[in-house]
Amino acid sequence: MRLRRRVESCFFMKRNRWIPYLLLLPSVIYLALFFLYPMTQAVQLAFTREGQFLNLRAEPNDTAVSTGALLLQTEVRIVERSEQQETLASGAQRPVFWYRVQAEDESGATVEGWVSIRNVFIENRRTSETARVTSGEALREFSLVHVNRMFTDFRFDDALWTTVLLIILIIPAQFVLAIIMALVLQSQPRFSTLFLYVYAIPLGLSDLVAGILWFAIFTQRGFLNSLLVNAGVLDLPFIFIQAGHLGWMIMIIVLAEIWRATSIVMVIIVSGLQAIPRDYLEAGEVFGASLWQRLWHIILPLLKPSLQVALILRTILAFQVFAIVIAITGGDIMTVLANETFRWYDPARFNNPNMAATYSVFIMLISLGVSLFYLRAVRSQEEAVQTT
Amino acid sequence: MSAQAVQPRLAVLPNERERQRALRRLRLRRAAVYIVAVLLALWILLPIWLITNMAFSTPTAVRAFPKAFFPNPISLDSLTFFINSEGILRALGNSVLVAVTTLVISTLLAVPAGYAIARYMFRGRDAVRLLMLSVRAFPIVVLAVPLAVIFIRLGMYDQPVTLALMHTALTLPTTILVVSSVFASVPYEFEEAAQVFGCRPIQAFATVVLPLALPGIAASAILTFVLSWNEVFAAMLLTSTNRTLPAHILYNLDKSSDPFKFAAAFFMLVPTMIFIFFIRRYLFNMWGSINK
Repeated sequence: MRLRRRVESCFFMKRNRWIPYLLLLPSVIYLALFFLYPMTQAVQLAFTREGQFLNLRAEPNDTAVSTGALLLQTEVRIVERSEQQETLASGAQRPVFWYRVQAEDESGATVEGWVSIRNVFIENRRTSETARVTSGEALREFSLVHVNRMFTDFRFDDALWTTVLLIILIIPAQFVLAIIMALVLQSQPRFSTLFLYVYAIPLGLSDLVAGILWFAIFTQRGFLNSLLVNAGVLDLPFIFIQAGHLGWMIMIIVLAEIWRATSIVMVIIVSGLQAIPRDYLEAGEVFGASLWQRLWHIILPLLKPSLQVALILRTILAFQVFAIVIAITGGDIMTVLANETFRWYDPARFNNPNMAATYSVFIMLISLGVSLFYLRAVRSQEEAVQTT
Repeated sequence: MSAQAVQPRLAVLPNERERQRALRRLRLRRAAVYIVAVLLALWILLPIWLITNMAFSTPTAVRAFPKAFFPNPISLDSLTFFINSEGILRALGNSVLVAVTTLVISTLLAVPAGYAIARYMFRGRDAVRLLMLSVRAFPIVVLAVPLAVIFIRLGMYDQPVTLALMHTALTLPTTILVVSSVFASVPYEFEEAAQVFGCRPIQAFATVVLPLALPGIAASAILTFVLSWNEVFAAMLLTSTNRTLPAHILYNLDKSSDPFKFAAAFFMLVPTMIFIFFIRRYLFNMWGSINK
C-alpha cells in the first residue's frame, strides 16, 4: 500500500515549488482566522477574570501610590476624612471628600488607604463611620476562579459522569452494530444498494430530529405506551421521562444515539473492508474458517486503522452530545457537558461566557486526552504483536 | 461493493449427499443474511415511519392515546400548523441562507486546496492532511463560545452570515479531504494528454479535470449543505433573533405542542433524506479518503 503510494507519487504527481502552497493558502488563512484564533480566545476567556477593583491610595489624590485593592461591595471603616475644595469650570467652588479607610481585601488581609467619595457609597459624608465600595477600575488578570467554580459547581459531576456513562454505553454497541451492518452489506444480498441507502439515512439526520423521533416513542402518550396499553401489559401509561428516572432517560438517549450515529461508523468500516484484498478473506473461507474465526483473526485486525479513525471521531462527537438530550429530557432534569456550556452561555440564563468557555476548554482537553489514549493504546498493541 | 461473494468449491466434494448438505448450509446462510439485513432496515425505518405517521395525522390524532400506527384520516393539518407558526418561514429562510453561504465559501476554498493535495508532491503534504483530519475531529462546542464573544465585540452577532463563517470552519476540512479524493480519482494522464495537445495547465484543469470532477464536487457540496442545515449547537449560541430552523425549533421545544414537534422533525428530515439518496454513491469515497 505504502509502496504503491510512493510509486504513484513519483510518476503521477506534479512538482512545483510554490503553486501547491498558493492553492492551500486561502484555506489555511481561513482556518487560522476562524479556528485557531477562536481557540486561543476560548483558553483566554477560561483563564481570565474580568472585574472592577478599587485601588487604595497612599495620599488623598488619584495619582498617589496604591496601597491595596478592594472588590466592589466591600464594607469599609472610615479612619480619617479630608475635605478639599475643587474649582469648577464656571469658577464656583465645591467640596470633594477623601476618606482614609480600613477594610479586608479579597485574601482577607487588612489594608488601609485613601479613597475618593466618587468610588464609595456613604450615608452622611461628614459623620458616617462606614461606607461601601461602589465603583473602581477595570481589571483583567489571569485567574483560576472559573476553573475552580466549574469543578465545584453542583451540576458539574452529574454532567461529566452522565456524558462518560453515555459514551461507555453507546460506543461498543454502535461498533458491534456497525460491523454487523458492514458484514451484511459485504455479503451482497440482493437489493444491497437499497439496504446501503437505508442504513445510511441517519447520516443525514440532525441529532435534534433523532431526539424528537425517540421522544415520540417514549413520551407518556407515545408509541411504546400505546403498544403496551393496547396489548394489555399496562393499564396506564408508564412515565419513562421524569426527574427520578435517570436510568430510563439514559437508556432512551443511548438507543437514540445508537440509532442515529451508527451509520457513520458503518460507512467508515465498509470503506475499510473494501480496501482489504479479497484473497485474504477467500483464503480464510477456503481453509474452512468459521465466520467468527474469519472476523476475529482476519477482518478485525485488518480493519484496525478504520476502527481507530471511527473510534476517535465517534468519541469526540459523543463528548458534545447536546440536542438529543434536550429533545428527549428538556435539559433540566438531566444534564451533559455541552448542555452546561450552553446554560452558562445563554443570555437568558447565566449569561457568563467565561464559564461557558471554561466548559468548552474542558471538553476540548478530555477529547484530546481520549484521542491520544486511543492512538497510544493501538500502537502499543501493535508493538506487542511485533515483539512476540 | 464490486467483488462477488465467494462460492464454496462444490466440485471437489466427494459425493452427492455432502454436496446437498453444503448447498443447504449455503441457502440457510443466505436466508440468515436476508433476515438480519431486513431487521436492521426495520430498526432504521420504524422511527421514521412513526414520525411520518404523526406528521400526516390530524392534531387531535397526534394528541390521542393510545396512538394509531397509521394516519387515519390522512391530513396535512399538523404540517400546515407547523409551517404557519410564528417565525418558522423566517427561520427556514435563515437556514437556507446559512447553508448556501457555507456551501459556496467552503467549496470555493476547498477546490484549490483539494487539487493541491491530490496532484502535487510538496513538503508538508502529509502534515496538511493530518491537520485537516484533526480539525475535522475537533469538538465544535469549543469554537462556538469564543466566536460568539468575538462577534459580539465586533458588532456582528446574530447575523446569518457570521453563522455561515463558523459553519465553514467546521465543514472546510471535510470538504477539502472529499474534494481531494475526487480529484485523485480523475486520472492524471487525461490532464497530461490535454497539455500535450497544447492546453495551458489552467486550461487543462478547466476543460478536462473540472468537468470530470464536477459530480463528486457537487456531492461534497451537498454534504456541506446537510452538515450546516443540521448543525444546532453553534446556531443556538451565535444567533438570538435570526435563528436557523433547528435552533428555532430547539429553543422553543419546551413550549411546543406534540403536533408541532413531530411535524417539525418530519419537515427537517425530508430534505436530508433526499440529499443522502443523491449522494449515496459518494459516501464511501468520502470516508475512504479519511481512512488512508
